[in-house]
Amino acid sequence: MRPRLLALVLGLCAAQALGEVYQAPEAFVAEVFGTLPAPRVLWLSRKMQAQASAILNHPPAALRQRYWSDGAKSVWILEEIGKEELITAGFVVSQGHIDHVRVLAYRESRGQEVRDPSFLKQFSGAGLDQSDHLDRGIDGISGATLSVHAMERMARLALYFDRWSRD
Amino acid sequence: MKQSALALALSALATAAYAQSTDEKLRILQQEIDELKAQMQKPSPGSVGQAGSATTISGYGEFNYNNYKSDTRPTQADLRRFVFGLHHRFDDRLTFHSEVEFEHAVVSRDDEGEVELEQAWVNYKFSDAVNVKGGLFLIPLGILNETHEPPTYYGVERNEVETRIIPTTWRELGVGMHGLVGGGFRYDVGITTGFDSGKLDDPSVGIRSAHQEGQLANAHDLSAYGALNYRSRGLLVGGGVFAGNTGQNGASNPLLKGVDARLTLWDVHAQYKVGRLELQAVYADGKLADADQLNASILATSAEPFAAPNRMKGAYVQAAYHIYKRDKLDFAPFVRLEGIDIRQQEDPANGLFQDPANHERITTAGFNFWVHPQVVLKADVQRYRTDPTKDRFDLGLGYMF
Repeated sequence: MRPRLLALVLGLCAAQALGEVYQAPEAFVAEVFGTLPAPRVLWLSRKMQAQASAILNHPPAALRQRYWSDGAKSVWILEEIGKEELITAGFVVSQGHIDHVRVLAYRESRGQEVRDPSFLKQFSGAGLDQSDHLDRGIDGISGATLSVHAMERMARLALYFDRWSRD
Repeated sequence: MKQSALALALSALATAAYAQSTDEKLRILQQEIDELKAQMQKPSPGSVGQAGSATTISGYGEFNYNNYKSDTRPTQADLRRFVFGLHHRFDDRLTFHSEVEFEHAVVSRDDEGEVELEQAWVNYKFSDAVNVKGGLFLIPLGILNETHEPPTYYGVERNEVETRIIPTTWRELGVGMHGLVGGGFRYDVGITTGFDSGKLDDPSVGIRSAHQEGQLANAHDLSAYGALNYRSRGLLVGGGVFAGNTGQNGASNPLLKGVDARLTLWDVHAQYKVGRLELQAVYADGKLADADQLNASILATSAEPFAAPNRMKGAYVQAAYHIYKRDKLDFAPFVRLEGIDIRQQEDPANGLFQDPANHERITTAGFNFWVHPQVVLKADVQRYRTDPTKDRFDLGLGYMF
Protein backbone atom coordinates (compact mmCIF):
# COMPACT_ATOMS: atom_id res chain seq x y z
CA MET A 1 0.00 0.00 0.00
CA ARG A 2 2.79 2.44 0.96
CA PRO A 3 4.68 2.14 -2.33
CA ARG A 4 1.41 2.83 -4.21
CA LEU A 5 0.72 5.90 -2.07
CA LEU A 6 4.28 7.10 -2.58
CA ALA A 7 3.96 6.58 -6.33
CA LEU A 8 0.70 8.59 -6.35
CA VAL A 9 2.28 11.45 -4.39
CA LEU A 10 5.36 11.45 -6.63
CA GLY A 11 3.11 11.37 -9.67
CA LEU A 12 1.12 14.36 -8.49
CA CYS A 13 4.31 16.28 -7.64
CA ALA A 14 5.75 15.53 -11.06
CA ALA A 15 2.52 16.67 -12.64
CA GLN A 16 2.59 19.86 -10.59
CA ALA A 17 6.00 20.69 -12.01
CA LEU A 18 4.49 20.81 -15.51
CA GLY A 19 2.27 23.77 -14.75
CA GLU A 20 0.01 25.52 -17.28
CA VAL A 21 2.61 27.60 -19.13
CA TYR A 22 3.86 25.24 -21.79
CA GLN A 23 6.53 27.51 -23.21
CA ALA A 24 7.80 30.96 -22.31
CA PRO A 25 7.17 33.51 -25.10
CA GLU A 26 10.91 34.31 -25.30
CA ALA A 27 11.71 30.62 -25.76
CA PHE A 28 9.15 30.40 -28.57
CA VAL A 29 10.64 33.43 -30.32
CA ALA A 30 14.17 32.07 -29.91
CA GLU A 31 13.03 28.72 -31.32
CA VAL A 32 11.62 30.43 -34.42
CA PHE A 33 14.67 32.58 -35.17
CA GLY A 34 17.42 30.46 -33.66
CA THR A 35 18.24 33.38 -31.42
CA LEU A 36 16.26 36.01 -29.56
CA PRO A 37 16.20 39.16 -31.74
CA ALA A 38 15.43 42.57 -30.33
CA PRO A 39 11.71 43.16 -30.20
CA ARG A 40 10.07 45.69 -32.48
CA VAL A 41 6.99 47.72 -31.72
CA LEU A 42 3.96 48.30 -33.91
CA TRP A 43 2.22 51.53 -32.98
CA LEU A 44 -1.54 51.22 -33.47
CA SER A 45 -2.99 54.16 -35.36
CA ARG A 46 -6.67 55.02 -34.89
CA LYS A 47 -7.51 53.10 -38.05
CA MET A 48 -5.63 50.04 -36.82
CA GLN A 49 -7.24 50.29 -33.39
CA ALA A 50 -10.67 50.35 -35.00
CA GLN A 51 -9.97 47.30 -37.15
CA ALA A 52 -8.33 45.44 -34.25
CA SER A 53 -11.49 46.14 -32.22
CA ALA A 54 -13.63 44.76 -35.03
CA ILE A 55 -11.54 41.60 -35.18
CA LEU A 56 -11.47 41.03 -31.42
CA ASN A 57 -14.99 42.29 -30.65
CA HIS A 58 -13.37 44.51 -28.03
CA PRO A 59 -10.63 47.15 -27.99
CA PRO A 60 -7.04 45.85 -28.15
CA ALA A 61 -5.28 45.47 -24.81
CA ALA A 62 -2.50 47.92 -25.77
CA LEU A 63 -1.86 50.62 -28.30
CA ARG A 64 1.63 49.35 -29.05
CA GLN A 65 2.12 45.72 -29.99
CA ARG A 66 5.51 44.14 -29.50
CA TYR A 67 6.68 41.68 -32.13
CA TRP A 68 9.79 40.04 -33.46
CA SER A 69 10.91 39.89 -37.07
CA ASP A 70 13.90 39.00 -39.22
CA GLY A 71 12.40 40.52 -42.33
CA ALA A 72 11.06 37.24 -43.65
CA LYS A 73 9.10 36.03 -40.66
CA SER A 74 7.34 37.83 -37.85
CA VAL A 75 6.28 36.46 -34.49
CA TRP A 76 3.29 37.74 -32.55
CA ILE A 77 2.57 36.76 -28.97
CA LEU A 78 -1.11 37.46 -28.36
CA GLU A 79 -3.53 36.92 -25.53
CA GLU A 80 -7.29 36.54 -25.65
CA ILE A 81 -9.87 35.29 -23.22
CA GLY A 82 -11.59 31.99 -23.99
CA LYS A 83 -14.46 31.45 -21.59
CA GLU A 84 -13.03 32.69 -18.30
CA GLU A 85 -9.26 32.90 -18.66
CA LEU A 86 -6.59 34.26 -21.00
CA ILE A 87 -5.07 32.04 -23.64
CA THR A 88 -1.53 32.98 -24.67
CA ALA A 89 -0.52 31.90 -28.17
CA GLY A 90 2.41 32.50 -30.49
CA PHE A 91 1.76 33.12 -34.19
CA VAL A 92 4.51 32.92 -36.81
CA VAL A 93 3.63 34.81 -39.98
CA SER A 94 5.48 34.58 -43.27
CA GLN A 95 4.58 36.27 -46.56
CA GLY A 96 1.16 37.26 -45.26
CA HIS A 97 0.24 33.72 -44.24
CA ILE A 98 0.46 31.88 -40.96
CA ASP A 99 3.45 29.59 -40.83
CA HIS A 100 2.55 27.92 -37.57
CA VAL A 101 0.79 28.48 -34.25
CA ARG A 102 1.46 27.29 -30.75
CA VAL A 103 -0.54 27.67 -27.53
CA LEU A 104 1.99 28.90 -24.98
CA ALA A 105 -0.29 29.09 -21.93
CA TYR A 106 -3.81 27.82 -21.28
CA ARG A 107 -5.32 28.66 -17.95
CA GLU A 108 -8.86 27.25 -17.99
CA SER A 109 -9.63 23.93 -16.31
CA ARG A 110 -11.12 22.52 -19.55
CA GLY A 111 -10.56 23.03 -23.26
CA GLN A 112 -6.84 22.30 -23.47
CA GLU A 113 -7.68 20.36 -26.65
CA VAL A 114 -6.97 23.58 -28.58
CA ARG A 115 -3.31 22.59 -28.15
CA ASP A 116 -3.96 19.56 -30.34
CA PRO A 117 -1.49 19.71 -33.29
CA SER A 118 -4.16 18.58 -35.75
CA PHE A 119 -6.33 21.53 -34.69
CA LEU A 120 -3.49 24.08 -34.82
CA LYS A 121 -2.29 22.73 -38.17
CA GLN A 122 -5.45 24.12 -39.77
CA PHE A 123 -4.07 27.64 -39.32
CA SER A 124 -0.89 26.91 -41.30
CA GLY A 125 -1.09 28.66 -44.66
CA ALA A 126 -4.13 30.72 -43.68
CA GLY A 127 -4.25 34.33 -44.77
CA LEU A 128 -6.79 37.13 -44.63
CA ASP A 129 -9.51 37.74 -47.18
CA GLN A 130 -10.62 41.21 -48.23
CA SER A 131 -12.74 41.67 -45.11
CA ASP A 132 -9.90 40.58 -42.79
CA HIS A 133 -11.39 37.17 -42.08
CA LEU A 134 -9.42 33.95 -42.37
CA ASP A 135 -9.50 32.72 -45.94
CA ARG A 136 -10.45 29.23 -44.76
CA GLY A 137 -12.82 27.57 -42.32
CA ILE A 138 -11.46 26.22 -39.05
CA ASP A 139 -13.01 23.00 -37.74
CA GLY A 140 -13.83 23.45 -34.08
CA ILE A 141 -13.43 21.23 -31.03
CA SER A 142 -16.50 20.03 -29.17
CA GLY A 143 -16.67 21.51 -25.70
CA ALA A 144 -14.01 24.16 -26.43
CA THR A 145 -16.11 26.47 -28.63
CA LEU A 146 -15.14 29.76 -27.01
CA SER A 147 -11.44 28.85 -26.93
CA VAL A 148 -11.59 27.97 -30.64
CA HIS A 149 -13.20 31.35 -31.36
CA ALA A 150 -10.46 33.08 -29.35
CA MET A 151 -7.77 31.30 -31.37
CA GLU A 152 -9.42 32.39 -34.63
CA ARG A 153 -9.59 36.02 -33.49
CA MET A 154 -5.92 36.00 -32.50
CA ALA A 155 -4.91 34.45 -35.83
CA ARG A 156 -6.75 37.20 -37.71
CA LEU A 157 -5.13 39.87 -35.54
CA ALA A 158 -1.64 38.45 -36.04
CA LEU A 159 -2.12 38.52 -39.83
CA TYR A 160 -3.57 42.03 -39.69
CA PHE A 161 -0.70 43.33 -37.57
CA ASP A 162 1.84 41.59 -39.79
CA ARG A 163 0.42 43.36 -42.85
CA TRP A 164 0.90 46.74 -41.21
CA SER A 165 4.35 45.86 -39.91
CA ARG A 166 5.47 45.28 -43.50
CA ASP A 167 3.99 48.51 -44.86
CA MET B 1 40.07 73.76 -40.11
CA LYS B 2 41.15 71.66 -37.13
CA GLN B 3 38.74 73.56 -34.91
CA SER B 4 35.89 72.96 -37.34
CA ALA B 5 36.69 69.24 -37.47
CA LEU B 6 36.84 69.10 -33.68
CA ALA B 7 33.48 70.90 -33.40
CA LEU B 8 31.93 68.54 -35.95
CA ALA B 9 33.28 65.50 -34.10
CA LEU B 10 31.97 66.78 -30.75
CA SER B 11 28.61 67.53 -32.36
CA ALA B 12 28.43 64.02 -33.83
CA LEU B 13 29.33 62.50 -30.48
CA ALA B 14 26.69 64.58 -28.76
CA THR B 15 24.09 63.52 -31.34
CA ALA B 16 25.09 59.86 -30.95
CA ALA B 17 24.92 60.17 -27.17
CA TYR B 18 21.48 61.80 -27.45
CA ALA B 19 20.27 59.09 -29.84
CA GLN B 20 21.45 56.31 -27.55
CA SER B 21 19.87 58.04 -24.64
CA THR B 22 16.54 58.29 -26.48
CA ASP B 23 16.70 54.64 -27.52
CA GLU B 24 17.51 53.68 -24.00
CA LYS B 25 14.66 55.75 -22.65
CA LEU B 26 12.29 54.15 -25.13
CA ARG B 27 13.53 50.70 -24.16
CA ILE B 28 13.00 51.48 -20.50
CA LEU B 29 9.60 52.96 -21.24
CA GLN B 30 8.61 49.84 -23.15
CA GLN B 31 9.89 47.66 -20.34
CA GLU B 32 7.94 49.64 -17.77
CA ILE B 33 4.77 49.40 -19.83
CA ASP B 34 5.23 45.67 -20.29
CA GLU B 35 5.69 45.26 -16.57
CA LEU B 36 2.61 47.33 -15.87
CA LYS B 37 0.62 45.25 -18.34
CA ALA B 38 1.84 42.07 -16.68
CA GLN B 39 0.83 43.42 -13.28
CA MET B 40 -2.60 44.44 -14.58
CA GLN B 41 -3.16 40.97 -15.98
CA LYS B 42 -2.32 39.25 -12.71
CA PRO B 43 -5.41 38.32 -10.72
CA SER B 44 -6.19 41.03 -8.25
CA PRO B 45 -8.81 40.48 -5.56
CA GLY B 46 -11.83 42.67 -6.07
CA SER B 47 -11.48 43.19 -9.79
CA VAL B 48 -14.44 41.73 -11.61
CA GLY B 49 -15.21 40.75 -15.14
CA GLN B 50 -12.10 41.90 -17.01
CA ALA B 51 -9.71 39.66 -18.85
CA GLY B 52 -7.01 38.65 -16.42
CA SER B 53 -8.94 39.70 -13.34
CA ALA B 54 -9.40 37.27 -10.47
CA THR B 55 -13.18 37.11 -10.81
CA THR B 56 -14.96 36.71 -14.12
CA ILE B 57 -18.58 36.56 -15.19
CA SER B 58 -20.15 34.32 -17.79
CA GLY B 59 -23.71 33.74 -18.83
CA TYR B 60 -26.19 32.17 -21.20
CA GLY B 61 -29.91 32.11 -21.70
CA GLU B 62 -32.77 31.48 -24.07
CA PHE B 63 -36.22 32.73 -24.96
CA ASN B 64 -38.51 30.11 -26.49
CA TYR B 65 -41.85 30.07 -28.28
CA ASN B 66 -43.82 26.81 -28.64
CA ASN B 67 -46.85 26.67 -30.89
CA TYR B 68 -48.60 23.30 -30.56
CA LYS B 69 -50.63 21.86 -33.39
CA SER B 70 -53.14 20.45 -30.93
CA ASP B 71 -55.52 22.65 -28.99
CA THR B 72 -54.99 20.47 -25.94
CA ARG B 73 -51.67 22.21 -25.26
CA PRO B 74 -51.28 25.96 -24.89
CA THR B 75 -49.15 28.03 -27.22
CA GLN B 76 -46.56 29.72 -25.02
CA ALA B 77 -43.62 32.08 -25.02
CA ASP B 78 -41.19 31.63 -22.18
CA LEU B 79 -37.98 33.05 -20.84
CA ARG B 80 -36.81 29.48 -20.47
CA ARG B 81 -33.61 30.17 -18.61
CA PHE B 82 -31.34 33.01 -17.58
CA VAL B 83 -28.02 31.82 -16.25
CA PHE B 84 -25.02 33.71 -14.98
CA GLY B 85 -21.75 32.28 -13.82
CA LEU B 86 -19.24 33.60 -11.35
CA HIS B 87 -15.73 32.25 -11.54
CA HIS B 88 -12.81 33.10 -9.31
CA ARG B 89 -9.13 32.36 -9.49
CA PHE B 90 -7.59 32.11 -6.02
CA ASP B 91 -4.13 31.45 -7.45
CA ASP B 92 -2.57 29.85 -10.50
CA ARG B 93 -3.98 26.43 -9.62
CA LEU B 94 -7.01 26.89 -7.41
CA THR B 95 -10.22 28.11 -9.06
CA PHE B 96 -13.93 28.30 -8.32
CA HIS B 97 -16.73 27.91 -10.87
CA SER B 98 -20.44 28.47 -10.48
CA GLU B 99 -23.66 28.95 -12.42
CA VAL B 100 -26.94 30.26 -11.07
CA GLU B 101 -30.06 29.64 -13.11
CA PHE B 102 -33.40 31.40 -13.19
CA GLU B 103 -36.13 29.52 -15.06
CA HIS B 104 -39.41 30.91 -16.42
CA ALA B 105 -38.75 34.56 -15.57
CA VAL B 106 -40.67 34.86 -12.28
CA VAL B 107 -39.93 33.03 -9.09
CA SER B 108 -42.54 33.05 -6.37
CA ARG B 109 -44.75 30.62 -4.49
CA ASP B 110 -47.55 31.04 -7.03
CA ASP B 111 -45.39 30.85 -10.16
CA GLU B 112 -43.59 28.19 -12.15
CA GLY B 113 -40.17 29.80 -11.94
CA GLU B 114 -37.20 28.32 -10.13
CA VAL B 115 -33.83 29.56 -8.97
CA GLU B 116 -31.20 26.90 -8.74
CA LEU B 117 -27.49 26.45 -8.46
CA GLU B 118 -26.48 24.54 -11.54
CA GLN B 119 -22.83 24.34 -10.59
CA ALA B 120 -20.64 25.40 -7.67
CA TRP B 121 -17.30 23.66 -7.47
CA VAL B 122 -13.67 24.22 -6.61
CA ASN B 123 -10.93 22.90 -8.88
CA TYR B 124 -7.27 22.34 -8.09
CA LYS B 125 -5.11 21.95 -11.14
CA PHE B 126 -1.92 19.96 -10.64
CA SER B 127 -1.44 19.91 -14.38
CA ASP B 128 -3.55 19.52 -17.51
CA ALA B 129 -3.49 15.78 -16.83
CA VAL B 130 -4.42 15.93 -13.16
CA ASN B 131 -7.21 18.09 -11.77
CA VAL B 132 -9.19 17.39 -8.62
CA LYS B 133 -12.51 19.04 -7.89
CA GLY B 134 -15.17 19.11 -5.24
CA GLY B 135 -18.63 20.60 -4.90
CA LEU B 136 -21.74 20.55 -7.06
CA PHE B 137 -20.71 19.73 -10.62
CA LEU B 138 -22.05 18.36 -13.90
CA ILE B 139 -21.91 14.63 -14.59
CA PRO B 140 -19.98 13.91 -17.83
CA LEU B 141 -22.54 11.75 -19.64
CA GLY B 142 -23.66 12.52 -23.17
CA ILE B 143 -22.74 15.66 -25.08
CA LEU B 144 -25.39 18.11 -23.91
CA ASN B 145 -25.05 17.81 -20.15
CA GLU B 146 -21.69 19.55 -19.97
CA THR B 147 -22.09 21.73 -23.08
CA HIS B 148 -25.63 23.06 -22.92
CA GLU B 149 -25.41 26.72 -23.88
CA PRO B 150 -28.05 27.40 -26.60
CA PRO B 151 -25.59 28.47 -29.35
CA THR B 152 -23.79 25.11 -28.99
CA TYR B 153 -26.69 22.81 -29.90
CA TYR B 154 -29.31 22.50 -32.61
CA GLY B 155 -33.02 22.94 -32.02
CA VAL B 156 -35.03 25.33 -29.90
CA GLU B 157 -35.68 22.66 -27.28
CA ARG B 158 -32.96 20.38 -25.98
CA ASN B 159 -33.10 16.89 -27.46
CA GLU B 160 -35.31 14.38 -25.64
CA VAL B 161 -32.68 11.65 -25.22
CA GLU B 162 -30.47 13.96 -23.22
CA THR B 163 -33.47 15.19 -21.24
CA ARG B 164 -35.50 12.06 -20.47
CA ILE B 165 -32.76 9.39 -20.41
CA ILE B 166 -29.74 11.50 -19.43
CA PRO B 167 -31.37 14.08 -17.12
CA THR B 168 -29.67 17.24 -18.40
CA THR B 169 -28.72 19.52 -16.68
CA TRP B 170 -27.59 16.81 -14.30
CA ARG B 171 -25.36 17.69 -11.40
CA GLU B 172 -24.35 15.97 -8.19
CA LEU B 173 -22.41 16.80 -5.04
CA GLY B 174 -19.11 15.03 -4.77
CA VAL B 175 -15.44 14.83 -5.56
CA GLY B 176 -13.85 14.06 -8.89
CA MET B 177 -10.66 13.91 -10.85
CA HIS B 178 -10.24 14.87 -14.49
CA GLY B 179 -7.60 15.67 -17.01
CA LEU B 180 -6.30 15.52 -20.53
CA VAL B 181 -3.89 12.70 -21.32
CA GLY B 182 -2.37 11.03 -24.34
CA GLY B 183 -2.97 13.78 -26.86
CA GLY B 184 -6.73 14.26 -26.83
CA PHE B 185 -8.12 11.78 -24.31
CA ARG B 186 -10.02 13.42 -21.45
CA TYR B 187 -10.91 11.28 -18.47
CA ASP B 188 -13.37 12.02 -15.66
CA VAL B 189 -13.85 9.88 -12.56
CA GLY B 190 -15.49 10.58 -9.24
CA ILE B 191 -17.76 9.73 -6.35
CA THR B 192 -20.94 11.71 -5.86
CA THR B 193 -24.41 11.73 -4.43
CA GLY B 194 -26.90 9.80 -6.54
CA PHE B 195 -30.63 9.51 -7.15
CA ASP B 196 -33.29 8.83 -4.53
CA SER B 197 -35.93 6.41 -5.84
CA GLY B 198 -38.21 7.40 -2.99
CA LYS B 199 -38.67 10.72 -4.83
CA LEU B 200 -39.79 9.17 -8.15
CA ASP B 201 -43.00 10.83 -9.31
CA ASP B 202 -42.85 10.90 -13.12
CA PRO B 203 -41.92 7.75 -15.06
CA SER B 204 -42.13 9.58 -18.40
CA VAL B 205 -38.69 11.06 -17.73
CA GLY B 206 -37.03 7.85 -16.54
CA ILE B 207 -34.90 8.43 -13.46
CA ARG B 208 -34.99 12.24 -13.79
CA SER B 209 -37.68 12.86 -11.19
CA ALA B 210 -35.50 11.10 -8.58
CA HIS B 211 -32.64 13.56 -8.97
CA GLN B 212 -31.54 15.48 -5.89
CA GLU B 213 -29.57 18.44 -7.33
CA GLY B 214 -27.57 19.03 -4.18
CA GLN B 215 -30.63 20.01 -2.17
CA LEU B 216 -30.32 18.26 1.22
CA ALA B 217 -29.44 15.20 -0.84
CA ASN B 218 -29.92 11.86 0.84
CA ALA B 219 -26.43 10.42 0.76
CA HIS B 220 -26.72 6.98 2.36
CA ASP B 221 -26.03 5.53 -1.08
CA LEU B 222 -23.30 7.21 -3.08
CA SER B 223 -22.64 6.73 -6.77
CA ALA B 224 -19.54 6.53 -8.93
CA TYR B 225 -18.98 7.79 -12.45
CA GLY B 226 -16.37 7.51 -15.12
CA ALA B 227 -16.08 8.94 -18.62
CA LEU B 228 -13.54 8.92 -21.40
CA ASN B 229 -13.70 11.26 -24.40
CA TYR B 230 -11.40 11.72 -27.33
CA ARG B 231 -11.41 15.11 -28.99
CA SER B 232 -9.52 16.25 -32.01
CA ARG B 233 -10.08 18.63 -34.89
CA GLY B 234 -13.81 18.35 -35.59
CA LEU B 235 -14.11 14.98 -33.85
CA LEU B 236 -15.53 13.84 -30.52
CA VAL B 237 -15.94 10.19 -29.57
CA GLY B 238 -16.64 9.09 -26.04
CA GLY B 239 -18.79 7.50 -23.43
CA GLY B 240 -19.51 7.43 -19.73
CA VAL B 241 -21.12 5.41 -16.99
CA PHE B 242 -22.82 6.36 -13.72
CA ALA B 243 -23.78 3.73 -11.16
CA GLY B 244 -25.05 3.58 -7.61
CA ASN B 245 -27.88 2.48 -5.38
CA THR B 246 -30.91 4.75 -5.15
CA GLY B 247 -32.87 3.32 -2.21
CA GLN B 248 -31.15 5.73 0.21
CA ASN B 249 -32.08 3.42 3.08
CA GLY B 250 -35.69 4.55 2.87
CA ALA B 251 -34.97 8.17 3.73
CA SER B 252 -37.74 9.41 1.42
CA ASN B 253 -39.94 6.31 1.51
CA PRO B 254 -39.65 3.93 4.49
CA LEU B 255 -40.64 0.99 2.30
CA LEU B 256 -37.31 1.32 0.53
CA LYS B 257 -35.30 0.70 3.68
CA GLY B 258 -32.82 -2.01 2.81
CA VAL B 259 -33.70 -1.86 -0.90
CA ASP B 260 -30.74 -1.23 -3.22
CA ALA B 261 -32.67 -0.08 -6.31
CA ARG B 262 -29.38 0.07 -8.16
CA LEU B 263 -29.15 2.40 -11.13
CA THR B 264 -26.65 1.94 -13.93
CA LEU B 265 -26.77 4.56 -16.65
CA TRP B 266 -24.30 4.73 -19.53
CA ASP B 267 -23.88 6.30 -22.91
CA VAL B 268 -21.74 6.43 -26.00
CA HIS B 269 -21.64 9.47 -28.27
CA ALA B 270 -19.90 10.89 -31.29
CA GLN B 271 -19.72 14.18 -33.11
CA TYR B 272 -17.95 14.86 -36.38
CA LYS B 273 -17.57 18.15 -38.18
CA VAL B 274 -16.01 18.11 -41.60
CA GLY B 275 -16.16 21.16 -43.80
CA ARG B 276 -19.70 22.51 -43.58
CA LEU B 277 -21.23 19.20 -42.45
CA GLU B 278 -21.91 18.31 -38.82
CA LEU B 279 -22.96 14.86 -37.68
CA GLN B 280 -23.86 13.86 -34.14
CA ALA B 281 -25.20 10.73 -32.43
CA VAL B 282 -25.89 9.64 -28.85
CA TYR B 283 -27.02 6.32 -27.41
CA ALA B 284 -27.97 6.18 -23.73
CA ASP B 285 -29.10 3.17 -21.73
CA GLY B 286 -30.04 2.66 -18.09
CA LYS B 287 -31.37 0.01 -15.74
CA LEU B 288 -33.08 0.49 -12.40
CA ALA B 289 -33.20 -2.65 -10.26
CA ASP B 290 -35.74 -3.78 -7.63
CA ALA B 291 -38.66 -2.33 -9.57
CA ASP B 292 -41.16 -4.56 -7.71
CA GLN B 293 -40.17 -2.99 -4.39
CA LEU B 294 -40.29 0.42 -6.03
CA ASN B 295 -43.84 -0.32 -7.22
CA ALA B 296 -44.83 -1.34 -3.69
CA SER B 297 -43.42 1.87 -2.25
CA ILE B 298 -45.19 3.94 -4.93
CA LEU B 299 -48.52 2.17 -4.31
CA ALA B 300 -48.23 2.84 -0.59
CA THR B 301 -47.46 6.54 -0.81
CA SER B 302 -48.52 8.00 -4.15
CA ALA B 303 -51.97 9.51 -4.71
CA GLU B 304 -51.65 8.62 -8.39
CA PRO B 305 -49.65 5.39 -8.49
CA PHE B 306 -47.60 4.52 -11.57
CA ALA B 307 -45.41 1.66 -12.67
CA ALA B 308 -41.77 2.29 -11.79
CA PRO B 309 -39.32 2.61 -14.67
CA ASN B 310 -36.91 -0.31 -14.83
CA ARG B 311 -35.19 0.21 -18.16
CA MET B 312 -34.66 3.39 -20.08
CA LYS B 313 -32.87 3.84 -23.35
CA GLY B 314 -32.78 6.29 -26.19
CA ALA B 315 -30.77 7.34 -29.20
CA TYR B 316 -30.63 10.08 -31.76
CA VAL B 317 -28.81 10.92 -34.92
CA GLN B 318 -28.50 14.46 -36.18
CA ALA B 319 -27.11 16.13 -39.27
CA ALA B 320 -26.60 19.82 -39.99
CA TYR B 321 -25.11 21.68 -42.92
CA HIS B 322 -23.77 25.23 -42.87
CA ILE B 323 -25.30 26.61 -46.05
CA TYR B 324 -24.17 30.18 -45.48
CA LYS B 325 -21.19 31.16 -43.37
CA ARG B 326 -19.64 34.56 -43.74
CA ASP B 327 -18.32 37.10 -41.29
CA LYS B 328 -20.33 36.61 -38.10
CA LEU B 329 -23.34 35.13 -39.88
CA ASP B 330 -23.84 31.38 -40.00
CA PHE B 331 -26.99 29.63 -41.25
CA ALA B 332 -27.36 25.89 -40.80
CA PRO B 333 -30.47 23.74 -41.36
CA PHE B 334 -30.55 20.47 -39.42
CA VAL B 335 -32.61 17.34 -38.96
CA ARG B 336 -32.69 15.05 -35.92
CA LEU B 337 -34.28 11.63 -35.47
CA GLU B 338 -34.80 10.43 -31.91
CA GLY B 339 -36.13 7.33 -30.23
CA ILE B 340 -37.08 6.99 -26.56
CA ASP B 341 -38.03 3.77 -24.82
CA ILE B 342 -38.75 3.88 -21.08
CA ARG B 343 -40.02 0.52 -19.88
CA GLN B 344 -42.01 0.24 -16.68
CA GLN B 345 -42.51 -2.63 -14.26
CA GLU B 346 -46.13 -3.55 -14.85
CA ASP B 347 -48.28 -4.87 -11.99
CA PRO B 348 -51.74 -5.51 -13.50
CA ALA B 349 -53.14 -6.80 -10.21
CA ASN B 350 -52.62 -3.35 -8.74
CA GLY B 351 -53.44 -1.39 -11.87
CA LEU B 352 -49.86 -0.40 -12.77
CA PHE B 353 -49.27 -0.50 -16.52
CA GLN B 354 -46.79 0.66 -19.12
CA ASP B 355 -47.54 4.16 -20.40
CA PRO B 356 -47.48 3.89 -24.22
CA ALA B 357 -46.31 7.51 -24.47
CA ASN B 358 -42.98 6.40 -22.99
CA HIS B 359 -42.17 4.71 -26.25
CA GLU B 360 -41.73 7.65 -28.57
CA ARG B 361 -40.18 8.59 -31.90
CA ILE B 362 -39.47 12.25 -32.58
CA THR B 363 -38.44 13.98 -35.77
CA THR B 364 -37.12 17.54 -35.56
CA ALA B 365 -36.22 19.69 -38.55
CA GLY B 366 -35.29 23.35 -38.59
CA PHE B 367 -32.36 25.72 -38.59
CA ASN B 368 -29.93 27.60 -36.40
CA PHE B 369 -29.00 31.09 -37.56
CA TRP B 370 -26.07 32.56 -35.70
CA VAL B 371 -26.02 36.34 -36.03
CA HIS B 372 -22.84 36.23 -33.96
CA PRO B 373 -20.88 33.14 -32.92
CA GLN B 374 -22.43 33.53 -29.48
CA VAL B 375 -25.98 34.60 -30.38
CA VAL B 376 -28.37 32.31 -32.23
CA LEU B 377 -31.88 32.44 -33.67
CA LYS B 378 -33.60 29.08 -34.01
CA ALA B 379 -36.72 27.68 -35.64
CA ASP B 380 -37.93 24.11 -36.02
CA VAL B 381 -40.90 21.79 -36.30
CA GLN B 382 -41.20 18.67 -34.17
CA ARG B 383 -43.29 15.58 -34.86
CA TYR B 384 -44.10 13.00 -32.16
CA ARG B 385 -45.25 9.66 -33.52
CA THR B 386 -46.83 8.26 -30.31
CA ASP B 387 -48.22 11.44 -28.82
CA PRO B 388 -49.06 13.82 -31.70
CA THR B 389 -50.48 16.39 -29.26
CA LYS B 390 -46.82 17.37 -28.76
CA ASP B 391 -46.36 18.23 -32.46
CA ARG B 392 -45.28 21.84 -32.58
CA PHE B 393 -43.51 24.73 -34.19
CA ASP B 394 -40.74 26.33 -32.12
CA LEU B 395 -38.87 29.62 -32.23
CA GLY B 396 -35.95 30.53 -30.04
CA LEU B 397 -33.30 33.10 -29.28
CA GLY B 398 -30.21 32.05 -27.34
CA TYR B 399 -26.94 33.58 -26.27
CA MET B 400 -23.81 32.87 -24.29
CA PHE B 401 -20.77 34.82 -23.16
